[in-house]
Amino acid sequence: MSRLSTPPSSTLVNRSKPLVFEYNGRRIDACEGDTVASALMASGVDILSRSFKYHRPRGHLCGEGHCPNCMMNVDGSPNVRICSEKVCNGMVVKHQNAIPSPEFDLLAITQKFDFLMPAGFYYKIFHKPRFMWPVFEHFIRKVAGLGVVDGKTPPYRYERQHLRADVVVVGGGPSGLSAALGAAEAGASVTLVEQDSFLGGHFRFQNPESSGFKKVLELEKQVRAKSNIRVLTGAVAFGLYEGNMLGVVQGRRTVRIRAKRVVVASGILERPFVFGNNDLPGIMLGRAVQRLLNLYGVQPGKRAVVVGSNDRALDVAADLLHAGVEVAAYADQRERINDSLESVKLLKSKGVALLPATTAVSADGKMHIRSVTLGPVAGRGENIRLDCDLLVLSVGGDPAIHLVQQGGARGFFEEHRVEFIAKRLGEGHFVAGDSNGVHHEDSILLDGRRAGLAAAQGLGSVDHAAEIADLESRLSANPAVVLNPKTMVAPDGSGKRFVCVCEDVTEKDVCDAIREGFDGIETLKRYSTVSMGPCQGKMCQMSAIGICARETNRTIEETGSTVSRPPFIPITLGALTGRNYHPHKTVPTHSRHAALNAKVISLGDWLRPEMYSNPAEESRAVHERVGLIDVSTLGRIDLRGTDVVKLLDKVYINSWGNLKVGRTRYGVMCDDTGIVFDDGTCARLGDQHYFMTTTTSGVDGVYQWLTSWMAGTSLDVCVTNVTSGYGGVNIAGPRAKEVLGKLTSLNLDSKEFPYMGCVQGQVAGVPCILFRIGFVGELGYEVHFPSFYGEYMWDVIMDAGKEFDIRPFGVETQRILRLQKSHIIIGQDTDAITNPLEANLAWAVKFDKPDFIGRRAIFEAKKQGIKKSLVGFVTRHGEVPEEGTQVMENGYSVGRVTSARFSPHLNKSIGLAWVPTARAKDGQPILIRSKGEWVIADVVTHPFYDPEGARMKG
Amino acid sequence: MLNFLSNDKKMWRRHTLKSSYEVVIVGAGIHGLATAYYLAKNHGITDVALFDKGYLGAGASGRNTAIIRANYRTAEGVPFYEESLKLYEDLARDLDYNIMFSQRGHLTLAHTDRGVTGLRERAEMNQILGINSSMIKPERVKQLVPTICLDSNPHYPVMAALWHPPGGVIRHDAVVWGYARGCDQMGVQIHPFTEVKAINTRDGAVQSVTTNRGEVKAKFVVNCTAGHASTIAQMVNVDLPITTHPLQACVTEPLKPFLDPVIVSSTLHIYVSQSDRGELVIGQEIDPFSSYSFRSTLPFLEGAAMHLLDLFPCLSEVRFLRQWAGICDMTPDYSPIMGFVEGVDGFILDVGWGTYGFKAGPVSGKRIAELIATRKTPNLIRPFRLSRFYENDLVGEKAAASVSH
Repeated sequence: MSRLSTPPSSTLVNRSKPLVFEYNGRRIDACEGDTVASALMASGVDILSRSFKYHRPRGHLCGEGHCPNCMMNVDGSPNVRICSEKVCNGMVVKHQNAIPSPEFDLLAITQKFDFLMPAGFYYKIFHKPRFMWPVFEHFIRKVAGLGVVDGKTPPYRYERQHLRADVVVVGGGPSGLSAALGAAEAGASVTLVEQDSFLGGHFRFQNPESSGFKKVLELEKQVRAKSNIRVLTGAVAFGLYEGNMLGVVQGRRTVRIRAKRVVVASGILERPFVFGNNDLPGIMLGRAVQRLLNLYGVQPGKRAVVVGSNDRALDVAADLLHAGVEVAAYADQRERINDSLESVKLLKSKGVALLPATTAVSADGKMHIRSVTLGPVAGRGENIRLDCDLLVLSVGGDPAIHLVQQGGARGFFEEHRVEFIAKRLGEGHFVAGDSNGVHHEDSILLDGRRAGLAAAQGLGSVDHAAEIADLESRLSANPAVVLNPKTMVAPDGSGKRFVCVCEDVTEKDVCDAIREGFDGIETLKRYSTVSMGPCQGKMCQMSAIGICARETNRTIEETGSTVSRPPFIPITLGALTGRNYHPHKTVPTHSRHAALNAKVISLGDWLRPEMYSNPAEESRAVHERVGLIDVSTLGRIDLRGTDVVKLLDKVYINSWGNLKVGRTRYGVMCDDTGIVFDDGTCARLGDQHYFMTTTTSGVDGVYQWLTSWMAGTSLDVCVTNVTSGYGGVNIAGPRAKEVLGKLTSLNLDSKEFPYMGCVQGQVAGVPCILFRIGFVGELGYEVHFPSFYGEYMWDVIMDAGKEFDIRPFGVETQRILRLQKSHIIIGQDTDAITNPLEANLAWAVKFDKPDFIGRRAIFEAKKQGIKKSLVGFVTRHGEVPEEGTQVMENGYSVGRVTSARFSPHLNKSIGLAWVPTARAKDGQPILIRSKGEWVIADVVTHPFYDPEGARMKG
Repeated sequence: MLNFLSNDKKMWRRHTLKSSYEVVIVGAGIHGLATAYYLAKNHGITDVALFDKGYLGAGASGRNTAIIRANYRTAEGVPFYEESLKLYEDLARDLDYNIMFSQRGHLTLAHTDRGVTGLRERAEMNQILGINSSMIKPERVKQLVPTICLDSNPHYPVMAALWHPPGGVIRHDAVVWGYARGCDQMGVQIHPFTEVKAINTRDGAVQSVTTNRGEVKAKFVVNCTAGHASTIAQMVNVDLPITTHPLQACVTEPLKPFLDPVIVSSTLHIYVSQSDRGELVIGQEIDPFSSYSFRSTLPFLEGAAMHLLDLFPCLSEVRFLRQWAGICDMTPDYSPIMGFVEGVDGFILDVGWGTYGFKAGPVSGKRIAELIATRKTPNLIRPFRLSRFYENDLVGEKAAASVSH
């Protein structure tokens, strides 16, 4: 292997721009435009990897990024297909899965024991005696896997892009270019997605003198000139998802494209066929050879044998001759070779033996192919053996219909074309060219244009039905070209006959599996692991299906194929993630907490002050004077319209019809199984205007809940999530009224603004919504203000409170204060099966209103009677049991502790726990198991602090 | 000598349909197969047919992420899953088939105070019931999984974890095949590609089953289906409190093994393990909408990538190889529905397995077989009766079952 002395005009490599990279510690010279594989091959490196199971040497095979043979570690990234990875200066490339090197691999010893490792052998051994399996498994895990995660490589930066297009054409080959042009001329906005770095597909890497090459250059020119075609090269469409969303990865960028229509023109996937030692380095697919020759100017061998089954194979042989490679023979699996072709004339003129009805039966060589044995396709007759260092397989390929299959289409086997054609396409999906089973050079272009026009139908103003019909008739007039041989399996030959190169599955393995009863294609796949490796069946699916059909005396159609699953090619986690942002939400008063040296903690997405000094001091301020807490994180939903009450009555278990303007009410929401899922207050600000608060973490769920229950109804309600539009504080304590009074002219008299009242008005000149509520159990005012006044509001309230020795208090103190009042926190004190009757919320359930979500379930629960209850408790000896510990009776768990804290004010350890309803009486002792110790506590069924609520109502 | 490694003996045979069977099991996944297996093995009942509309293990049995554990939350759930785990530990020997139960431990991460409380609740309950399960600190997590990053997501640092050493993963297909072979050897008939079209009753009792291959009489019909559990129950006019949701999963390309335990984070909605082939197997929570669709979604793949990178930023260059979806029969309390159904004699439910069915396959099979043979509901599965939904006696496992496979 070496560089061609004169590179063809089609080359992508700029030999005047040298690059250097490192491979296994060795310096490799390359040129701009080279792939890692082309540079390595030009430097004489031909063994690129070792196989998964037997550690056999493997070399360049498909050249198109699908097969596992060229997977290496590039700059710390494992499993990179180097045939599709452009060289960058200074790259560090390392081999994988071989000790110490691919050329000499100690693990190749496993080949000697292949008789111990038939398909599925691991299901039959290692499990007796039982204790041996972990020992065996330990060893298996030492040798399993391919790439290495070193844990050191810093993550690359990935980007994400969102695009829209009328028509997305997947594949920039001849049919894709024609489709894009067709759709664009019909007025559609088109995005063309091409996997390679260049346009033109397989025509582009044909001989530059060929008609195909010239055609795609011309097409490319036209496409580039169209302003309504966006071209993405080096971009792979890996998934076609619901709603015609295409996932595309382009280098370090993921592009999500929403398309109205999708044309799949992704060509064929060339693959090897089954014969002896068909995995030796030096055995390459035709397209890999053409790429090396015509794109990279690398000569893949000195003396070649070509085995083909179609006229494209003849072009490959001709290209080899042009590049100065000796062609020892051209074998064709067809009965006849068309003498009139230019390529045949060339081969004949150079004295190449043309062998019809002939195929490869086995290859020989240890580390590289040294000779090939050719024999009759029919299996009877004489074999001939030819020395060579390159065996080219050009036996057609499978139409790449993966994307449309993901979109719902099915592959139907067409006997005469020997390939699966996509039918029953999903809505807005089209297939064109090679991937549509159209292989004639002219037809590929016509079919592309047909699909492009058809995709654009109805998007523009012009109807193209006439041209489409004309194209269809021209297509049917062209001769049908068949690429594939009748069978993908050569008659008997010596050596291992690989079906699946990823997983080292041989024909014998497949046959063994079928004999054991795994005779359906799906079970066969799972048992033999054929098609489950890195190529996901792209190299082996047809061979496996063919063997399965042969062994079970069924047709290919009856045998069927496995389902194609996304992604079409493996995609890095980094690309799918994009930039992994973790933005914090800060409250509008955040800077003030920081200035006060508050301990700030992360709660969900929010940063909140946990405490400023200590809970004892903070709670004393609230009980004796006045405290201030930021409550900006509360969810806020604004509701307006004539039917708000109907909606509220539906989603809350409470009643809302009698709520007067200027009043607020505590409300509980249940799901349709009667399970409590959120709580908060809802105030009536105006005749048809309500303001709902939700739990901090629940607001998005509640908003979705409201809108989903509204959907399909004709309710006149406008629901707006205004959470981030407001900030909020709670001024709580016996002096709260005096503090607030200094800042507002609103009448705060209890008659005008009583407990559970609400009012809108100015505080310190800022328009606010005020609620008189008492989550922390003292006289309290919750003040909500436009969030951009946050710092100002905090400052004026703190200033006004100075004379009363106001203290800010944090989340921890709030938790203690609410626990003193036995106010529950949904999700902490309740779980996923808690109904309101059990959670002491029976008073809120209004069965007398027509209907509400969860009514039926709660009603049934009421009929049955409740069995467990949420109660308060005080521990006898002051221990604070850990939250989540169990309440025990006779050695069994009968309940659990959900909240527990020491209350400095009460000088007691208090908590909430679930207990059997029979125990839910004041003074009942309960036994809690905490940290392996027993804690005795007494049940308290009323709030621990101010049970009558005189202080907050006061 | 090594003939046992490769032989011509079929794992299971093909049969023509008989005109009648004592027991017909609808669904030849792990639940159906295990039920048939223990009917034959423990109770000598071999006049059993298994019907499946697809190939063996085509449904949830072949689509799950194969995690086995017993660290549930309730006094009803824990002993039940514990018995299953014990059966799994012995199953390879029992079936003489290496199902590769790999007990490399199960680690559930908590990233919030509330998460820690939830795990402590489970640890306490587990310990009371004798399960090897305890809370561990982040330092210990780092020892068990050196590649994990404990604080790459600033909102959700790892604060503690629930460590359950007997948990692990299994080769799910092998369990299906092993049970199938065991069933076949004892005379049970397995009929793949046989779709049940109707279940016929007379006088409130099951009479026969109509399939696409003809009608067969049956004394007992067991509903062992998953995503379509409620449609099968509808055939005998039984309404189940079940909704069907897709659940998706994906795998990466094979990597040299670096992750031994199963890792679960319900806050980050992800669970991950590494198979003996080196692939990382990843799942998330069920899709939020109900559907019978098997179609994969891009948001799932993106979410899985993002959350996996939150725990393992070093995996940025690792590639997802394949994604797929299955459908799950979800109950309101995240516990299954098992047992007889009032008003339809001979009809037995083993459904509502949501996202936790595979790990319970052996115990459900064993206990449903016992129920059929004795006509009595075993105590272990009594809490999971259908009527619990009408008796306000739910078995709340959501906190331990959702995302925590």
